[in-house]
Amino acid sequence: MRAASPVTLVLVGCGAVSRLFYQPALLELRRHGLVNILAVVDPRAEARAPLAVALGAAACTKLDEALELRPELVVIATPPALHRAQAEAAFAAGGAVLCEKPLAASATDADAMAAAAARTGRLLAAGHYKRFMPAHRALKTLIERETFGPLLDATLVEGGKFSWPAATDSFFQREQTPGGVLLDIGVHVLDLLRWWLGDPTNYTYADDALDGLEANARLDATFASGASVRLRLSRDWRTENVYVFRFARATVHSRVNASNQLEFTLDGLPMTLAAELREPLPGRPAPPTRALDTNPQAFIAQLVDVCAAIRENRAPFVPGIEGAQALRWVEACYARRTTLPIH
Amino acid sequence: MKTASQSSTWAIIGASGFIGLRALEGLHDRDGIAVRPVVRAASSLAVLARRRLDWRIAGPRDLASLTGALRGCSVCIHAALGDPLQIEQMATVAYQACAAAGVRRLVWLSSASVHGQNPAPGTDESSPIHDRHLLAYNNAKVRAEHRLEKLSADGRVEVARLRPGVVFGPRSRWITDTAADLRAGRAGWLDEGRGVCNSIHVDNLVHAIRLAATVPAAAGHAFVVGDAESVIWRDFLLPVATHLGLSANDFAIAAPAALVAERETPFAALTRSRLYQNLGEHVPDRAKRLVKSLASAWPAPALAPGAWRLPRSSSNAPRLTLEHTLLQRCAWKLPHAKAARILGYTPPVPFAEGLAASLAWLDFAEGPR
Repeated sequence: MRAASPVTLVLVGCGAVSRLFYQPALLELRRHGLVNILAVVDPRAEARAPLAVALGAAACTKLDEALELRPELVVIATPPALHRAQAEAAFAAGGAVLCEKPLAASATDADAMAAAAARTGRLLAAGHYKRFMPAHRALKTLIERETFGPLLDATLVEGGKFSWPAATDSFFQREQTPGGVLLDIGVHVLDLLRWWLGDPTNYTYADDALDGLEANARLDATFASGASVRLRLSRDWRTENVYVFRFARATVHSRVNASNQLEFTLDGLPMTLAAELREPLPGRPAPPTRALDTNPQAFIAQLVDVCAAIRENRAPFVPGIEGAQALRWVEACYARRTTLPIH
Repeated sequence: MKTASQSSTWAIIGASGFIGLRALEGLHDRDGIAVRPVVRAASSLAVLARRRLDWRIAGPRDLASLTGALRGCSVCIHAALGDPLQIEQMATVAYQACAAAGVRRLVWLSSASVHGQNPAPGTDESSPIHDRHLLAYNNAKVRAEHRLEKLSADGRVEVARLRPGVVFGPRSRWITDTAADLRAGRAGWLDEGRGVCNSIHVDNLVHAIRLAATVPAAAGHAFVVGDAESVIWRDFLLPVATHLGLSANDFAIAAPAALVAERETPFAALTRSRLYQNLGEHVPDRAKRLVKSLASAWPAPALAPGAWRLPRSSSNAPRLTLEHTLLQRCAWKLPHAKAARILGYTPPVPFAEGLAASLAWLDFAEGPR
């Protein structure tokens, strides 16, 4: 995709996700003439300055200063408690918004963001980039088309000893981040489950929070298709980091963040096919095709999609309302939570 | 000097680790002691944040930040992990920080490995310790104890040292690694596991920590602590296998490691040099971690071509690490008579009960199979 002209943007928040994900992604997009990075925003000079230098962008302490540059896109990568006000400010200044997950600190705030986008006619995209992973797109197709028969059940285990290089402890303060592992990595999974299977018809939820934020969470859900899902999340100990889908005639393993890989165990075949997902081959002799997007490329794909949506005046692939609904499910889980035993 | 009191705040340095976290749970949740976790990075708070706690972020080798983190605490429990060099440095910094912050008692988590993993029969706390062990970890623990003995001669901080052996329980590598090795078909033992395992369930260790922090006479002493039972490795390893639906047949006769001293990598040797340490004071921790990770990621020399081998070849017996080799050759149950006499230590958790609880945790952690 090549936009008619680079999309001008500002990046709000210079923490770990900006440094590790947005910095390389935006540099790549700029190399291809897709974006023009006007400014980065962060109140902390030690975070702001290096990112501004790396991206060749202005360094702003406040969002207002950056909005004076009239960006077309505002990328919000700050603590969730700040998302709503920052998104509303961006819309008021005429910008579109790509907001990191979770979309807001609460579903109410997320709804307000979506309403503000609709009211101002601006685009709001939710940062659920895992929908862009080829493996997850393939799973959606397999579920919907029942290629291997209907999905019977799925077991998803994800997480490990927490290693995200959080710059401050705001990530673990309930006032700043109102959830633990379910809100952090779980909101991605809940978004995927909704995308694959729709809203659950029934579910139970348990976690190990005492008066703080959970480190382990368990969700058991059933869906309208009859499929049941067991989800286990942890920040505490190593897990297998795999989603297992048991269809009527095959079992499919999808390793967490293995964006372009799937493992197929087909009924009657005494082996497992560990597959790299590639562009489709034609039905004639042809050389091997190109591998589909890796995890970083899936992240880039979301940015490309948002830029294209701005240029083409269309909705993004993951609109804000989807982020709001995933967040609503997270909140509903917390509302009905039972306590996991502490061993 | 005042006696450490349970009515004041206890700091736990390394509170996110296996022992530190369990100590926090035991002291805070069960005993109602005001506990202040001290961790080296925000990312270490992930599990601690289940509770609303008054935590601090401070480097265990950063005197200024550690002193600030310890202010207002009467007891400091040091359970932070580190490489050999860090272990030695942490001892000095912990003592100095406790002294500067007005902490009355430092409970230092040393290790039974100061006596070696395979101590001579008759060994107890009265046996001299030396830093000529094959394992650098052992030597670091010995040097750390020596540093603390020397530093505490000034009387500013009471120091009690605990020497636990094989600490097991929920989250312990002795449980998770054993299960992983068994499942991967790479579990092995020496002499069918007849060597002595100087085990201690983590809750027994937490009990010892509690006593070491509060018993006045503990100051200035080192204590070996362990489970009540005499345990051999077979008692420990076989129930893990049985729990997984496996048996003694799933342990291969392992190849022991050669009994030669660990060799430092060139990078580790560099880090011990005076030049590096002087320079290191001016280098941010993040940069140090980056250099270390790059050094460890440096490609190892290529192995011999492996294409012409039978798949799933069983010709290579599992090779035990040097640590495991020494541990499984152990023939002496280290006594905790001194801890019993001075601290009143009686391990509250029977070995079998502790192991069963650990395996129950393994089921819980692994979830559906």
